[in-house]
Amino acid sequence: METLVQALISGLVFGAIYAIMTMGLTLIYGCLRTLNMAQGAFGMVGGYAAWVVTTDMGAPPIVGLFVGALAAAGIGILTHFISIKPLVGRKDIDFEMTAYISTLVVAIMFSAAIILLFGARNKAIEPLVEGRLHVFGTVTVAWQQVAVAAVALICLGGLSLMLSRSRQGLSIMAVAQQFDAAKLMGVPAGRVYWVTMALAGLLGGIAGVLLAPLYFVSPSAGDLPILKGLTVAVVAGLGSIRGTIYAAFIIGLIEALVATYFGSLWSLPVLFALIIVFMIVRPYGLFGKREEERL
Amino acid sequence: MLEVSNLSAGYGAATVLQDVSISVDEGKIVVVTGPNGHGKTTLLRVLSGLLPVNHGEIEFCGERLNGRSAATIVAHGLVHIPQGDLLFVDLTVEQNLFMGAYLRNAWKARRERIRRVYELFPRLEERRAQQARTLSGGERRMLGIGRGLMSNAKLLMVDEPALGLAPVLIQEVYATLARVARSEATVLLVEETLANAKDIADYVYLIDTGRIVHQGTMAEIGADVLTSTYLGSKEG
Repeated sequence: METLVQALISGLVFGAIYAIMTMGLTLIYGCLRTLNMAQGAFGMVGGYAAWVVTTDMGAPPIVGLFVGALAAAGIGILTHFISIKPLVGRKDIDFEMTAYISTLVVAIMFSAAIILLFGARNKAIEPLVEGRLHVFGTVTVAWQQVAVAAVALICLGGLSLMLSRSRQGLSIMAVAQQFDAAKLMGVPAGRVYWVTMALAGLLGGIAGVLLAPLYFVSPSAGDLPILKGLTVAVVAGLGSIRGTIYAAFIIGLIEALVATYFGSLWSLPVLFALIIVFMIVRPYGLFGKREEERL
Repeated sequence: MLEVSNLSAGYGAATVLQDVSISVDEGKIVVVTGPNGHGKTTLLRVLSGLLPVNHGEIEFCGERLNGRSAATIVAHGLVHIPQGDLLFVDLTVEQNLFMGAYLRNAWKARRERIRRVYELFPRLEERRAQQARTLSGGERRMLGIGRGLMSNAKLLMVDEPALGLAPVLIQEVYATLARVARSEATVLLVEETLANAKDIADYVYLIDTGRIVHQGTMAEIGADVLTSTYLGSKEG
């Protein structure tokens, strides 16, 4: 019983991180109809930025979170102008596939740049908070996990308010749902694209900083998150915001339960088996739609 | 208000519109009619900046609009209500309307404007929190028109508002457009079935294979044209 509760708690915490991480992929797929393979690198860069300000400059971890998020948002915009914008609207290429490759290339370049700047060795980073919360019996939760879940939920809440109320947020949804109509409302598509990339960077950066104390900061710190993000996105249905949230928690819980009862070695194989099953049975995911092409 | 002169446009190498000239006066309902696939929708897509102009001039309220972006054109008050509504189906009715007020000036006045739209279409207020995909055909059409009115529209270009609607709803939509033209904005209507619009049209252009072949008031156009091949009668 206590083992189960412990596993469920850790599953929910990871689900929350996966949700904000994957939301970047989801928003970009919605607007631009391509997979942003640099999403993991956004988190990696965010982790380094947080490490620099907290370790070198001695700033408190919460400042690291903000700086990491902003740095990653900047990297998101940079990624857009390097690897997506030059491809948008070109008739001679398959946009979805080409942008997928070019964002992957940019992600590799960011890792290489980080190696040149900071070396290949892992860096440890302070958690936001120390200590453990005693729940009941032998069940305890690290305060860091509580903080991680809280930050992730605040981000999701803020994001949902933004997307449903604000002018910029609604225009992101509008471009994702009806491109021509959005243009007819006067939405400048080019700006919505880079705003979406900045938002995806912000979310990726926050996820990266939250994960950093658990996995270290390293040039390859973005690889596992993008893999998990793609898993969540496939299960969710590409581009579905609601699906992303459900799928993130489902995957977080499956992973935690498998790790608890069968050992953590089994969690990735089980997730990949799940992807394969979804690809065969429900290729458009839990909430996805069979989409037409665009751009 | 709107002066289009010698306009040519098309998709890539395929020219659809040739030498089209039309003029719309303020407060009027002007109808562009003709068979399907002869350039009516293309004309609206060019006017709203979705398609480039190859030749000719577009002047709106004294400003030249050729080659301007769709955003600039909307900002000038020339608003295109597309065929089949193109609603944001996963957004609510209210969010759809707010998107119609996307441009900065309109956004500031959005609460006041949405009240006017709700006065015009009380049904939309009842359905304000519903997703647009759950609306009936007639309600969707109203939302499309209401969304267009949320911007600072001076001229609404409405594409085939009767498409896919039951006859009783068609009359309702045209009555609404007549009200819009009286109190809100001038209307340029694209319509395959001229009979639908015959009671509200002030001036009519007939388009055929991308050219204007007839024009005049409803009386001038007359009954002979109403039944001619241009309007899709069976012997055509």
